[in-house]
Amino acid sequence: METIAAFLEGPFWYFSAAVFVVGVVGRLALALSLGSSKSLSVPRGSASAGAVRAVFSRFVPRRDFYRRIRLEVIAGYAFHVGLFVLLFFAAPHVEFYKEYILGFGWPTMPRWAFIVVSEIAFAGLIVLWLRRLLHPVSRKLSDAGDHIGSILIFFVMLTGCLALGEDHESLRLIHLFLAQLLLIYFPFSSLMHTFTFVFSRGYIGAGFAHHGVKA
Amino acid sequence: MKTGTTVNRHATRQSTTWLLPVVWLLLTICGTAVAEEQGGGAVPNPGIELWRAVREGPPPGVSRSQVEGIGMTTLIAEGGERWRQLRSNYVAPWGGWALVGMLGVLTLFHLVRKSPERFDGSSGKVIVRFPDYDRILHWFMAGTFLFLAISGLILLLGRYVILPLVGPQAFGAIASASKEGHNLFGPVFIVSLTLFVLRFAQRNFFARGDLAWLAKGGGMLSGKHVSAGFFNAGEKILFWSITFGGLAISISGLILVFPLFGQSRELMQLMLLVHGIAALVLIAFTFGHMYLGSIGLPGSFNAMNTGKVDADWAHAHHDRWHREAEEKGLIEKAPS
Amino acid sequence: MPVDMNVAQAFMEQVQEMGKMEVPSKLSDQERVETAKQVIRDGINAQLAIDLEACVHCGLCAEACHFYLASKDPKHTPIRKLDLMKRMYRRERSPARWLYRLFVKDVTIDDLNEWEELVYDSCTVCMRCSLICPMGINIGGGVAVMRAAMRTADLMPVEMRLVGQEQAEKGTIFGVGSEQFVQTLEELRKTGLKIPLDEPEADILVLSAVTDIVLFKDTLVSTIKIMNHIGAKWTFSSQGYESANFGYMTGDQEWQCAASKRVYDAAVACGAKTVIVAECGHSYPTLRWAGAELMGKPLPFEVLAPSEFLGREIQAGRLKVKPIGKQAKFTFHDPCKIGRIGGVVDAPRVVLDALGVDLTETEPHGVENLCCGGGGGNFLITRALPLRLKVFELKMKQFDDTGAEEVVTSCDSCMMNIMAGTMAHQWPKPTHSLMDLVGHHLA
Ligand code: HEM
Ligand code: HEM
Ligand code: SF4
Ligand code: SF4
Repeated sequence: METIAAFLEGPFWYFSAAVFVVGVVGRLALALSLGSSKSLSVPRGSASAGAVRAVFSRFVPRRDFYRRIRLEVIAGYAFHVGLFVLLFFAAPHVEFYKEYILGFGWPTMPRWAFIVVSEIAFAGLIVLWLRRLLHPVSRKLSDAGDHIGSILIFFVMLTGCLALGEDHESLRLIHLFLAQLLLIYFPFSSLMHTFTFVFSRGYIGAGFAHHGVKA
Repeated sequence: MKTGTTVNRHATRQSTTWLLPVVWLLLTICGTAVAEEQGGGAVPNPGIELWRAVREGPPPGVSRSQVEGIGMTTLIAEGGERWRQLRSNYVAPWGGWALVGMLGVLTLFHLVRKSPERFDGSSGKVIVRFPDYDRILHWFMAGTFLFLAISGLILLLGRYVILPLVGPQAFGAIASASKEGHNLFGPVFIVSLTLFVLRFAQRNFFARGDLAWLAKGGGMLSGKHVSAGFFNAGEKILFWSITFGGLAISISGLILVFPLFGQSRELMQLMLLVHGIAALVLIAFTFGHMYLGSIGLPGSFNAMNTGKVDADWAHAHHDRWHREAEEKGLIEKAPS
Repeated sequence: MPVDMNVAQAFMEQVQEMGKMEVPSKLSDQERVETAKQVIRDGINAQLAIDLEACVHCGLCAEACHFYLASKDPKHTPIRKLDLMKRMYRRERSPARWLYRLFVKDVTIDDLNEWEELVYDSCTVCMRCSLICPMGINIGGGVAVMRAAMRTADLMPVEMRLVGQEQAEKGTIFGVGSEQFVQTLEELRKTGLKIPLDEPEADILVLSAVTDIVLFKDTLVSTIKIMNHIGAKWTFSSQGYESANFGYMTGDQEWQCAASKRVYDAAVACGAKTVIVAECGHSYPTLRWAGAELMGKPLPFEVLAPSEFLGREIQAGRLKVKPIGKQAKFTFHDPCKIGRIGGVVDAPRVVLDALGVDLTETEPHGVENLCCGGGGGNFLITRALPLRLKVFELKMKQFDDTGAEEVVTSCDSCMMNIMAGTMAHQWPKPTHSLMDLVGHHLA
């Protein structure tokens, strides 16, 4: 057990973190380096303002669309907000960042809040994944990579919660190991949308704004 | 294209059929382990003893009320002790065996019955049975239920079944994980159950024709189809069992998870009993349901998979619904 | 005012005849695949690359696309129309291409054949999907690249190919060229209309469109009346008169450039400060947004959509109309090329307000308006008619829900598509061109 722990907290941790950072930065940089031609037509509105606007306005779907995708929006928010709260405010996580990455910590949430938030996140994730499986459109669109992403996240979250008893080192290590696998998988998958969404929204917002349309 | 799908479907069917005896074998091992723990499992007439024990429990006043009365201390301690015994001496072994028995019955049934009608889409027509939202809810609930059932069964039976296999250290971790996982998913199940019941209740009210269906045992033994509407009486019974059984499980579970309201040990013990028995009953029910929803009635699984069923399947199993759909022009051409 | 249905019928039959023709390609399948791949590869710029990386395959875009909404067939999901592009990106441009090559299949001729239908018949490049997509993916932009790839591989609906070729090579569309245009003007002059043509100097160059010459002559007449009414110094040009640009719709840059260049030269020749395109949806973004890129420099004139022009003139007080009155209920259909893509949404409302009509908006409308299904050249594709008619049912329902008795729009493609739907569904509501409506109610 000790050797496994030493491996996971030592070399393997550095390896997975490196793959993550290099992968994410590299993938973004290479995509962006393809460049695009600058628009020569007389703009009807400011493209850069439109870009910023779209990054934020896309968090709220338009009314006509919302009526059609209510379930997806609610489940989507439940999962994503839940995940980020867990990622940044769960006591064990902050402890980990403090010890291995940043050297400092910040206030964390109490245990009961942790549980409630993870329940919300789980409900959201399960519904989203089921929708991916059961809706004919997303079923056809999804490839193995998408399912691996969902399932990996699910098991990372699950093992994290199963380790809540904090009385078995093995449970904690399983969680850590899965989280590291996730880090390695991340840059090769559509989980990249965590970062790319800023750019893709920015681009479309700029394009529409150039034409005088708020998107 | 066409041949490809047929082959695929066939392959899945085969693999699921193989799974059944495997699961059955696994549970038999579990059962044996439990029995050995109990000294060969030589209990003369468990049913009678179980219910006698239940009847002999503490006075109803105590078990039903959260108010702790004066001078009841002794009774509580005694009753609590009795119920704990009840749990480990009766609920655990007999619950375990009941589940194994259920699987046995299903396997036997599957082997001796004449092979059921297949609906391979030869009609070329389909009817939408469950829209996306219905299916998402079903699997949301079924998934959380199964997770709770597995983690719960580990809590109830793991000591007899898993501990001897993996040793105390590993079992400690498994038990701890199961407990955390079970507590975590309990509330999620409650949410899914609520959404599911709200969505499905209306279609499950008993109606004319249900009694006749029941009287004929749903045609399960005769092999003849009995007239039914959207849901048959068996499904409706399943639905209401899950609704009320789920309610009992949820309330007792919440009381167990949150001992915040000064629940007495007495009440907790009772709740553990209620929770365990209700859970076992529902798990046994869902074994049957899972069988019928998959290999038991070929064609059924489509209802919860793609949401569309073969029109012939609908005609055979839910003829009155089929007629309605026909009248409303809801029968579609099957996608190629 | 509404169009002569017999003329419309004849026109549609003419288009259908084209659909039956066979135009063999000189390219072998191998060459087709190679050229198509090349165009796709080169077409992937930073935005598309980021988009292809960002897509989470959620499928929400389907809920915005009229083709999916009408057919409920998952193959009509917008992002699926870029599937070949995604595969190309993964195999050849993505940083992880060494990995993707192991399991992402290469593009084949069968794929191209399948996708031809997806990028032409079942996409009008209306951009609505980009409004719903949580990642803001530019699917329309990707479809444009796909169309360019298909075009170079000689894989496009025969009608579009024939018309595009005709415009590029002969400068005519449906046999209508400069000669026919001038002839039409001559005939109109006989009715007493004053029509400036090829004036050496003018402030405004007004364009026409083949559809106005063949089908919607009233709109042409109204345009002339309005221009005269406001007392502008305007002209038509016998060389640069055509708004329609089949290069843009088919995805052929050369054709597109040739067509735009004619207009450009005509405008420069008379020193026009303003060019007003005809009510021909795609011609507005073609010139307003893509024109400068094609010419490689900002255009020396402004480009206005008809509704934009009308709205401006009304607000400036130069254009005076008599109110129609509230007795009839109207609704307005925003053409996607002019509303969502063109950015002209308020102007037509200004016009309708000045006309004093009882306007009830469809839900949704404006930037979010649902495409009628006829844009992007789709109207020409005969084999796509059944799908188009299904799409039109959605539109019909939206119109009916407003309780309006008459529909106004400002795009010939929309007009033709609505007319086709009207005929097929025996739908009794008349549809007007905004220009024509104004032309008939000049004060
Ligand atoms: C994993 C295996 C399962 C399969 C293959 C399965 C399959 C199905 C199918 C095919 C139906 C539709 C029946 C019809 O068309 O009438 C259905 C309905 C249903 N299932 Fe499941 N199911 C599974 C697990 C579960 C579980 C674990 C639960 C319990 C929580 C459950 C509860 C229900 C209920 C309540 C209904 C609706 C019955 C009614 O409303 O009358 N299922 N299932
Ligand atoms: C349908 C879903 C459920 C099933 C099948 C299920 C099953 C079980 C089983 C078999 C046990 C073991 C009983 C025993 O040890 O005597 C158990 C224990 C327990 N269950 Fe559930 N349960 C379900 C839902 C819930 C819910 C909704 C909650 C609470 C919100 C809950 C909370 C508990 C608690 C606190 C225990 C005691 C665990 C312990 O020993 O620490 N369960 N459950
Ligand atoms: S909505 Fe956007 S992210 Fe979702 S599948 Fe469509 S293109 Fe991809
Ligand atoms: S651009 Fe319009 S037609 Fe094309 S896929 Fe998107 S929504 Fe559909």
